[in-house]
Amino acid sequence: MIDKSREIIRAENLVKTYEDDSVPVNALRGVDLVINRGDFLSIVGPSGSGKTTLLNVIAGLDEPSEGRVYLNDKLISEMSGRELSDFRRDNIGFIFQSHNLIPVLSVEENIEYIMLLQGVPKKERHKRVEDILKEVGLEGFTKRFPTQLSGGQQQRVAIARAMVSQPALMLADEPTASLDSATGSELLDIMRSLNEKRNMTFIFSTHDKLVMDKARRLIVLKDGKIASDEVKE
Amino acid sequence: MIILKIAFRNIFRQKRRTLLTALTIFGGFTLAAISIGWSEGTYSYTIDMFTRNQMGHIQIHGKGYLDKPTLYNTINNYRQIGETISGLEGLEGWCPRLYSSGLAAVAEKSAGAIIIGIDPALENEATGFDKKVAEGKSFSKDPAHEAILGSGLMDILNADIGDSAVIVSQAADGSIANDIYEIVGIVESGDNLSDRSSFYLHLSDAQELFVLDQRVHEIAIISEELGDVDELVVRIKSAVGESGLSIEPWQEFAKQFYVAMQADKQGAWIMIFIIILIVAVGVLNTVLMTVLERIREYGVLRALGTRPIQIFRLIILETNFIAVGSILVGLVASTIINYLLSIKGISMPDSITYGGVEFTKMYSEVNAISLYIPAITVIVTVSLVSVFPAIKAARTSPSKAMRIH
Ligand SMILES: Nc1ncnc2c1ncn2[C@@H]1O[C@H](COP(=O)(O)OP(=O)(O)O)[C@@H](O)[C@H]1O
Ligand SMILES: [Mg+2]
Repeated sequence: MIDKSREIIRAENLVKTYEDDSVPVNALRGVDLVINRGDFLSIVGPSGSGKTTLLNVIAGLDEPSEGRVYLNDKLISEMSGRELSDFRRDNIGFIFQSHNLIPVLSVEENIEYIMLLQGVPKKERHKRVEDILKEVGLEGFTKRFPTQLSGGQQQRVAIARAMVSQPALMLADEPTASLDSATGSELLDIMRSLNEKRNMTFIFSTHDKLVMDKARRLIVLKDGKIASDEVKE
Repeated sequence: MIILKIAFRNIFRQKRRTLLTALTIFGGFTLAAISIGWSEGTYSYTIDMFTRNQMGHIQIHGKGYLDKPTLYNTINNYRQIGETISGLEGLEGWCPRLYSSGLAAVAEKSAGAIIIGIDPALENEATGFDKKVAEGKSFSKDPAHEAILGSGLMDILNADIGDSAVIVSQAADGSIANDIYEIVGIVESGDNLSDRSSFYLHLSDAQELFVLDQRVHEIAIISEELGDVDELVVRIKSAVGESGLSIEPWQEFAKQFYVAMQADKQGAWIMIFIIILIVAVGVLNTVLMTVLERIREYGVLRALGTRPIQIFRLIILETNFIAVGSILVGLVASTIINYLLSIKGISMPDSITYGGVEFTKMYSEVNAISLYIPAITVIVTVSLVSVFPAIKAARTSPSKAMRIH
């Protein structure tokens, strides 16, 4: 019994085989997954279990070898090139493990980047940048450059940038992996509060116990398959 | 716009590498600009030596004279033609000439000579004849049975200033042309070959000798600018009319010389090709290195929704920023160098003789072509060379790029 209107991601039988080496690697071996609007979901599993691959396929950064991904009922696994670039820009916020920011752009410019691509007017851009920086606790950092920020601050800017154009979905691949656990935990609190305040859907991978505990739904990947899927209350 | 901003700021990230690229482009541009300036300068200078000081830029003859120069093929109304053309725009000077050959004798010695009758005043004004008189004096204003000989001919005849020279030839009416003149000066025209045979007379004396009253064989015309010769030819043709006359620019009446000069110019282009090749290899190397280093960043940009063409533009813009900056500095440097070489010149290690003219010094030239040709070539080269790395960057797969650490 699935309520279609709540559904944001539907992945069907995702298979991903990397063929570039002599021995093919089966990173995903048939993943079926439905994610609902407002989920705060963590994908966990040992290194090499396919977390990054799954997030990349969901984000349209990588093509599955088999299977389909729908975002808001749009089939994204078959879009290509420019269509996919624009779709990603407008619908998905992505946060990487590290080095998320463009080093030659200031905090403000990094956050503005997607809005600039979208052609959002200047006034609107400034307002949104101010608001979002307040939410991630970086007021007054607009003119700083990435090298002038700590790792945790950089990740917060990355979240702000991903969030600022109100994408339907936020994806974060081990966002805390390069941070110490206190800073990582803080970052998760910010994500959680954005999830609650704005009803924004978050999917993040991790292998950090502290981080997992903050999730409301936990999917465990093992050898490219879902081993368990539990909703916590 | 944001792409432009990133491209611009990227220049300052690896300052040393940018500086190296800029120096390569600057060096290539400046060398090319100097070599074109030099090539154009020596080209104009050599041509000027022949035309402005001697042949003239334009010559008028009776039809067929150049193919078969006979005593009888004359221009009969040269004064009238001269008056008509002397007011034309772009004309600096004109002078009539009478040519014949004969035997010149001084005391016991004799030699074949080319007798050239000139109007001293007009010849001075047009080709600076008086400046070529190395010893003695130039002609008196009125005909006075004076002769001025080329330095080579003086040696052959073992003559001195003040000696009497006898000419024996044939006149237009079939009679024997024969007269005696006083040598008053020695000419060094720079053209050694012609100095071995030139025997100058006052035009009126020559006309009397050959019984060619009021007639000449050639009108030489000097243009104010070498580059405007063709337009001046058109103006002269429409002012004078072409009946019985041929009016030709130096490229036609001195065709062999012109062809040789053109061939000389090709050398500069080979030089430019080599320079461009060096710039291309240097720039390709650094751009490729930079792109490989930043592949992760292109991955982030792609993941954020940047289109491949925007990444492509980013690379092309970045290299062009460096190129334009280097060219601007190069413009200043090469203009200064070309200017200095155009006024000071360079002494030839061994004097070069070209068609009998001795060149001891050559001069460069400041002109637009020596700047815009290298500028365009460098921009095009740098852009072309960046295309391959730019495509590579544009094709970055975000998922793969993010796995590079
Ligand atoms: N581009 C690739 N080429 C070949 N194998 C890959 C590639 N990317 C990932 N893999 C392999 O796929 C499997 C899953 O990797 P990944 O999704 O990165 O797992 P995780 O993020 O859970 O550590 C691993 O065995 C990894 O070595
Ligand atoms: Mg991973």
